[in-house]
Amino acid sequence: MQNNHTKEHLFKILVIGDLGVGKTSIIKRYVHQNFSPNYRATIGVDFALKVLNWDQETVRLQLWDIAGQERFGNMTRVYYREAMGAFIVFDVTRPASFEAITKWKEDLDSKLSLANGKRVATVLLANKCDQGGDVLTNNGIKMEQFCQENGFVGWYETSAKENINIDEAANCLVKHIIASENDMLQAEVPDTITPQLENDKGRTCSSCFRSQ
Amino acid sequence: MPTPSLLLFIDRSLFARRVKDNRPVEQKDPGWKLFGKVPLREGPVKDPKRIQKEYETKSGRAGPGNPTSPRHGVRKNLDFEPLSTTALILEDRPANLPAKPAEEAQKHRQQYEEMVAQAKKRELKEAQKRKKQLEVRCKLEESIGTAAQIWNQEILPNWSTTCTSRRVRDLWWQGIPPSVRGKVWSLAVGNELNITHELYDICLSRAKEKWRTTPAPSLEAEDAGSSDRESSLELIKLDISRTFPHLCIFQQGGPYHDVLHSILGAYTCYRPDVGYVQGMSFIAAVLILNLDTADAFIAFANLLNKPCQMAFFRVDHSLMLTYFAAFEVFFEENLPKLFAHFQKNNLTPDIYLIDWIFTLYSKSLPLDLACRVWDVFCRDHEEFLFRTGLGLLRLYQDVLSPMDFIHMAQFLTRLPDLIPADQLFQHITAIHMTSRNRKWAQVLQALQKDPERCSPVLKR
Repeated sequence: MQNNHTKEHLFKILVIGDLGVGKTSIIKRYVHQNFSPNYRATIGVDFALKVLNWDQETVRLQLWDIAGQERFGNMTRVYYREAMGAFIVFDVTRPASFEAITKWKEDLDSKLSLANGKRVATVLLANKCDQGGDVLTNNGIKMEQFCQENGFVGWYETSAKENINIDEAANCLVKHIIASENDMLQAEVPDTITPQLENDKGRTCSSCFRSQ
Repeated sequence: MPTPSLLLFIDRSLFARRVKDNRPVEQKDPGWKLFGKVPLREGPVKDPKRIQKEYETKSGRAGPGNPTSPRHGVRKNLDFEPLSTTALILEDRPANLPAKPAEEAQKHRQQYEEMVAQAKKRELKEAQKRKKQLEVRCKLEESIGTAAQIWNQEILPNWSTTCTSRRVRDLWWQGIPPSVRGKVWSLAVGNELNITHELYDICLSRAKEKWRTTPAPSLEAEDAGSSDRESSLELIKLDISRTFPHLCIFQQGGPYHDVLHSILGAYTCYRPDVGYVQGMSFIAAVLILNLDTADAFIAFANLLNKPCQMAFFRVDHSLMLTYFAAFEVFFEENLPKLFAHFQKNNLTPDIYLIDWIFTLYSKSLPLDLACRVWDVFCRDHEEFLFRTGLGLLRLYQDVLSPMDFIHMAQFLTRLPDLIPADQLFQHITAIHMTSRNRKWAQVLQALQKDPERCSPVLKR
């Protein structure tokens, strides 16, 4: 387990959500620290790479910016494979894009899961909050509930234009990805390390030999 | 540039004897000026203009501002003018230092003259380069003019007989002059669908009717069913301003915003089963730039009706995979090393081809180059789209081969801003579209009959 601390992490992260909600803008802001109102529509998939220093480790994020039109669904679902985390984005000024969130999430969970069968960490982004943030700020509690019910590890009001909460949202996602990765690593080698002495306390000897 | 004398000055001042300390302070200051002659004797600081004049009379040259010079007016503005440079040289030595030895002064003069000569040479070279570029541009414009004349007077009037001739095909490959481009595209794409201007008007008025009756895409739109949302005109609206945004002509308030909106809207009424699919806005935009609205619509509908475009815009998954598989056959055949590298990195063609094929390269290539690809695409059909893709891979083979997955994917989904057209077309020419004696169509057909031979990576 020692080499765990010196190794490099490579995480594939999906950025999905309806057309025109600002997926590309969020990525450009996060990776290149700039914003332009003139991004071209994404056809198919675009890519970006972000390198982070995380607790003396290097984290490489491979960002997959997937075209938002439903029609491309069949074609772009293959891109979900092996992703470790996802952002699902909606536009706070377009309620329809929020309606679509549950569909994107269900679709993601039905096509993708971690090696241990768990769902991949997903953060919900309420983008363009500079243009109509008050729609949601009053609904903070509802949003928390929505996230819990739909299996999001967190949600952020973001603005790629004004650079609001982009880094925070990414850090949240990375934190959860690393946690789930550690989960899996421990699950892979259950009997060599952590003999669970604590759990065996107070049990009869026979419990030492239980298979589970 | 002034380093030799400057260094010497610093050197010497370190060992300077304080002999002439009783001289007035202002005279001790070393004088700086632009490339002037370094006078040997000490004295009061001179006016740089005077020095320049002095130098010029001595060396037998005259500056442009010297009216007494017989050479006045001979100089052309391309000639080197020492006064125009910004380099500084040390004119006077500090008064407290002994005069330069004659030998050293001579050496400095020589160095200075060499510098001037070099600068002059460089400027001359640049002027020649500019002249050459201008000549090339003039020649290009001339050849475009000649070509336009040939297209207009010889080819277009006899289209059905000339369009397949060797000469026309060659001319076609070199790029269609912009002034006849739209006409040639229209003729080459054809109008199998027999769409008339009236039909366009009908489709457009239906679209307008729909826009009027559909509630504004605001809060009420929430209730709209997903299929309705999918085909809704809101998608078109969102994409129009994201079509060639740098041209600023399709955005809200731009001159072509409404035209693009109309064509895309009319198409959703003409083919409601296809509707609006991302990528269409780029194709319609390129057509609008070269054709009148109704003709652009006719070309648009007929272009999308071609088998490859229908497969893609209807997102016929298995047929798209067949196209990718056929592409891979020719990829392996033409660029085996790069193909192996892509395979090793799991870089499947869908990752970059979707963008290229959906927009017919209009999004990924510079617009003028994309139009040249369209020229030949109109002549050679879908095969040329895939050949262009292979040409791009061949052009950037050396750039791609040391890269890993993410860098290749990034590179291919965002190609360089400047792509040399001639080089690209040379590389496209070098791509052979035959595989074991089979042509593109035959390979595609064989794959369609035998879906098992589709790309193993893409199959799920």
